Amino acid sequence: MATEASAGMQNLNIQDQAGQQEAPKPTVILVIGMAGSGKTTFLQRLNAHLHEKQLPGYIINLDPAVTKLPYGAHVDIRDTVNYKNVMKQYSLGPNGAILTSLNLFATRFDQVVGLCEKQRDPPLQYIVADTPGQIEIFTWSASGAIVTEAFASTFPTMIAYIIDTPRCLGPQTFMTNMLQACSILYKTRLPVLLVFNKVDVARHESCLDWMADFENFHQALDSEQSYAATLSRSMSLVLEQFYQNMRAVGVSAVTGEGMDDFMAGVTKCAQEYEEQYKPELVKRQQDRSQQEQQRQAAELERLRADRTADGDIAAAAAASMSRGSGKTVLDGRKGAALQRLAEEEEAEGVLD
Amino acid sequence: MKFAQLVVGPAGSGKSTYCENIKQHCDAISRSVHVVNLDPAAEEFKYPVSIDVRDLVTLDDVMEEMQLGPNGGLLYCMEYLEENLEEWLGGELEAYGDDDYLLFDCPGQIELYSHLSVFRTFVEYLKRDGWQICVVYCLDCQFISEMPKFVAGTLSALSAMVQLELPHINVLTKVDMCKNKEALDAFRFPDAMEMRHELDRQTGPHFRKLNEAVVQLLDDFSMVTFTPLDISEEESIEDLLLQIDMAIQYGEDQEVKTHEHGDMEDPDDGDGPDY
Repeated sequence: MATEASAGMQNLNIQDQAGQQEAPKPTVILVIGMAGSGKTTFLQRLNAHLHEKQLPGYIINLDPAVTKLPYGAHVDIRDTVNYKNVMKQYSLGPNGAILTSLNLFATRFDQVVGLCEKQRDPPLQYIVADTPGQIEIFTWSASGAIVTEAFASTFPTMIAYIIDTPRCLGPQTFMTNMLQACSILYKTRLPVLLVFNKVDVARHESCLDWMADFENFHQALDSEQSYAATLSRSMSLVLEQFYQNMRAVGVSAVTGEGMDDFMAGVTKCAQEYEEQYKPELVKRQQDRSQQEQQRQAAELERLRADRTADGDIAAAAAASMSRGSGKTVLDGRKGAALQRLAEEEEAEGVLD
Repeated sequence: MKFAQLVVGPAGSGKSTYCENIKQHCDAISRSVHVVNLDPAAEEFKYPVSIDVRDLVTLDDVMEEMQLGPNGGLLYCMEYLEENLEEWLGGELEAYGDDDYLLFDCPGQIELYSHLSVFRTFVEYLKRDGWQICVVYCLDCQFISEMPKFVAGTLSALSAMVQLELPHINVLTKVDMCKNKEALDAFRFPDAMEMRHELDRQTGPHFRKLNEAVVQLLDDFSMVTFTPLDISEEESIEDLLLQIDMAIQYGEDQEVKTHEHGDMEDPDDGDGPDY
């Protein structure tokens, strides 16, 4: 397994920086999932697995409200932000406090990225981040977006979407979960690996069957609910397409089953990132900086236009002054003041 | 007939602000509307709440007594509510009857809709009790700057509501805080084709088939349109309220009443749109 992972890493290196002898960039695994899906337990298992296979990893905890962390994190949001204090200081309830804590941490996130980027010996291969318990605090918040983009613009990044398999045995709940995963795919535009957790309690193969065979899912859905035929059909089709775009593995954080499959999935996602997601990301960043440049150029134009207008006023004032319109002293003072202003602006030049 | 709006959406999407504004608007036009808080983790309310789940159970109490964290605590609260639904909520709702209009301010966490049966049970109960219900899904417009994000929002909405089988209206909140209101028009009545085109433009080629399937799904569920809500504009609030009223057929009774003297019973039973 270690060889496959490091071979994957080497491929990335060759594609990425031709000629440079820097170590290949580590892959970021963002662990996202609904409350109770087992993210933290999974992280504990992943941490143990990385140690066992001697794959250097860097663990980041982004959940400010977790009381006991069953693994050692290299960077822990709780070291920077005290969730209970935030609650008191800003008079917030638990959700508000988690969100605010994450916001506060996000303002310093460039430091975290800096820590991740440091050259180490042996070089890092994986950066794993555990996210807050409630999924929307990360997926539908500005700070969640900042963290995701900070990672994605620096490292190959993928999402490990943890699924509570026992709760997904009904087609409706399964559909809800898949729609959430699909939502995350569109929001982050990063490769998503579906991680069916708790397979020691309930097998995930029936879920995989549903994804591979849309008729199968359609039947299961029809038997459970009375949707209009068109709706259950559309849902089944989305699921089928989803499966084409998504990898799925079954794991048990408790027994350790499936961890090798998980690591293989991560490697494939990292490749997908380089081949498919990164070019789009780069293009978007270029578009954005182009737009910003255009905006700045437009601002400059406006500034120049304003200054020319002032200059005209100063010239007119000076001209009327020399014509001797009667209020010579007042006009003179005013004209001189405007003239001075125009000259000062000229001297200052364009401010950034 | 009795009318209810279930106001749902992610944390911070503006549900409580929405309820507050609708209440204020209705008070100003002498229309009777009551707000029900169903969020055990809710903090302060700026508006008067007629029924409050925190009378039954609060997150703080549960966290302390059961030694649970915020997530576990919330799940426990909701399961507790489900157990006491008929007794407590049924009791509270007895005070409301014909022509009453309630806004249910619901908790944000999607886990409550996907993993717990409490909302299904709650909706079934309301239906049995004779309530006409519409789901109002709130999404913060500041997150919808590009088509893929818009689609993400609608998929998230759909995942919460797919099990509820109710008519729904999607609302883009905080439009008053939006710097570029014209850009929002693009999302007001997107055509399925336009959506697909824009999605294809903004995502990689490997997304094409998925884009096609997703847009079809959203179109089939009528999840494609969002109504913007600008709370600083009275007209915006009125328009939205009108849309929702139409979805739950509020006001149809009123019209019949004015012709009471010659007419028989209301022939239209007021079943919601079929799904």
